Amino acid sequence: MTAIAGFSDLVTRNLRQSGIFVAFVAIVALFAALNPNFLSPGNLTNIVLQYSYILILAIGMILIIVAGQIDLSVGSVVALTGAVSAVLVIKNGMPWYVGVLAAIVVGLLVGAWQGFWVAFVGIPGFIVTLAGMLLFRGLTYRVLDNVSLSPFGGTYYDIANGFQNGLLGGYGVDTFTLVIFGIAVVGYAVAQWRSRKGRIAYQQVVESMPLFVLKIVAVAAVVMWFGYQLASSRGLPNILILLAILIIVYTLVTQKSVFGRHVYAVGGNLHAAELSGVKVKKINFWIFVNMGFLAAVAGIVYSSRMNGAQPGAGNMFELDAIAACFIGGASTTGGVGRVGGAMIGGLIMAVMSNGMQLMGVPQSIQQVVKGLVLLLAVAFDIWNKRRAAALR
Amino acid sequence: MTNVVRTPLLSVRQVSKHFGAVEALVGVDLDVHAHEVVALVGDNGAGKSTLAKVIAGVLQPDAGIIERDGVPVTFSSPSAASASGIATVFQDLALCENLDVTANVFLGHELRTSGGLLADGEMERVTRRILQNLTVRIPSVRTPLHHLSGGQRQAVAIARTLIGEPRVVVLDEPTAALSVAQSAEVLTHIQRLRDMGLGVVLISHNMNDVRAVADRVEVLRHGRNNGSFPADVSHESLLAAITGAA
Repeated sequence: MTAIAGFSDLVTRNLRQSGIFVAFVAIVALFAALNPNFLSPGNLTNIVLQYSYILILAIGMILIIVAGQIDLSVGSVVALTGAVSAVLVIKNGMPWYVGVLAAIVVGLLVGAWQGFWVAFVGIPGFIVTLAGMLLFRGLTYRVLDNVSLSPFGGTYYDIANGFQNGLLGGYGVDTFTLVIFGIAVVGYAVAQWRSRKGRIAYQQVVESMPLFVLKIVAVAAVVMWFGYQLASSRGLPNILILLAILIIVYTLVTQKSVFGRHVYAVGGNLHAAELSGVKVKKINFWIFVNMGFLAAVAGIVYSSRMNGAQPGAGNMFELDAIAACFIGGASTTGGVGRVGGAMIGGLIMAVMSNGMQLMGVPQSIQQVVKGLVLLLAVAFDIWNKRRAAALR
Repeated sequence: MTNVVRTPLLSVRQVSKHFGAVEALVGVDLDVHAHEVVALVGDNGAGKSTLAKVIAGVLQPDAGIIERDGVPVTFSSPSAASASGIATVFQDLALCENLDVTANVFLGHELRTSGGLLADGEMERVTRRILQNLTVRIPSVRTPLHHLSGGQRQAVAIARTLIGEPRVVVLDEPTAALSVAQSAEVLTHIQRLRDMGLGVVLISHNMNDVRAVADRVEVLRHGRNNGSFPADVSHESLLAAITGAA
């Protein structure tokens, strides 16, 4: 296979996923061209911090959407968990970890509550979580007595605002950050190499060797460049470490665990999954418990970043998280979608928000643009499916 | 008939099932032996699929007994039936189009590594072996199901029944939606099942298919047994038993 044929094959074979990646690169390039500050170290750090909680929510949401459900309550759960934590830490002067633990317990309880109604009573997730959206927002107002609480300060504040810097020294550029990114790049290259060897062993199509090397080098260059930008700014944000751990763990859960496999089966064909002995109720229950857990993590991160809790916190977060999943290639009918795709989808939203803010685009226009992007992404998904069906 | 008494792999005795006032099955008998393909034929609504569902554990009979190797059993669920060595391919296939061939074959019975993760390599090996035994041709065991033809999907559905090492395989209209060439392939798979020593119950509308692979033809009419025929039965007498014209 020649390099060009190989490249066009690489692009068309997985148009849905490479398409979203190309779109992401194009959007970044567009904003970089429009605004010289866009790719500055400080702003790149900002994008990560500003949108981290949406990315955390999107990880949980992708599991829910793949299973064919939806969760509209996560914004309210973010507010409730942050509020509980704030009451304990700010009002009652408890240590930061008590707030973190309490928030996670509340998140798990909320998830179990919603999972119970969806899985064991059989009410569609849409309805249960619509109710939850009102219910948990109301509880947030009760918990906070209608007033904002701030500031957290100290360690709790550092969760979302702190950096790992200077652990290994450096000359204006943090060595530790670069080492971590280096490890990530090597890990990526090894994983890609192993999967390529696997495909060859099963006599499957692989891209040609030069193209493969080019792909690895390109990814490594972009990642190391991003790492260098962070290292020359404030170092490695705590939040990025947390996010990386969550992404790795949940990629493993979705792609390599029996639970993940069954989530895809339930979303693909509920009836078939049930006949095959998949415990559909258990799957539905646990994906909502998991969503509650991740909403609590997002709630902690958000309250930490805001350095306080407001009754109106997390408003519309659910829609951003859902949009991230659909832009990232999840199917509205369930059964299709990946954690990596949802992350790219979330980053597209993040980059668009940040880029338009830098350019001084009014809030109203920002919303119009984001709405259109979501619509076009799903339209592309449907068009792509029709094309695939016609090819068969 | 010989004097050797063989215990049937599966034996259905006087099974009845009604839905409200509708009698779907009335005192039906059916025996399936090892190395045997038993065809179950009948008109629409004759009770073929109901009988298949009773055997598969999807429906529970109102009366009668089911025996496995001569031992009476009751199936409260499809998994109880499959634990007892009865595997069923339903008419609507029960496959997940978004998953690949291996994932479908092992759905609900996934193998794990010592670390608790999916043992993809091992599952792919087993899948390829099963498909080879059935002489199924599929581009790759990693192909998602929505890329496969109807015949290939049927083959995957048959392959997945073999995961639990069953003794009896029930196929409900396996060739209904297939082209002539694909039907022929599926019939080869069914013969392979018999060669492996399994008992096969083949439910079909298609008399040509039935006479091509079956060792014995059982006719159902209005939920009752309406004759048992050898495979070389004439088309006319079979049709007469099915329609009740005689």
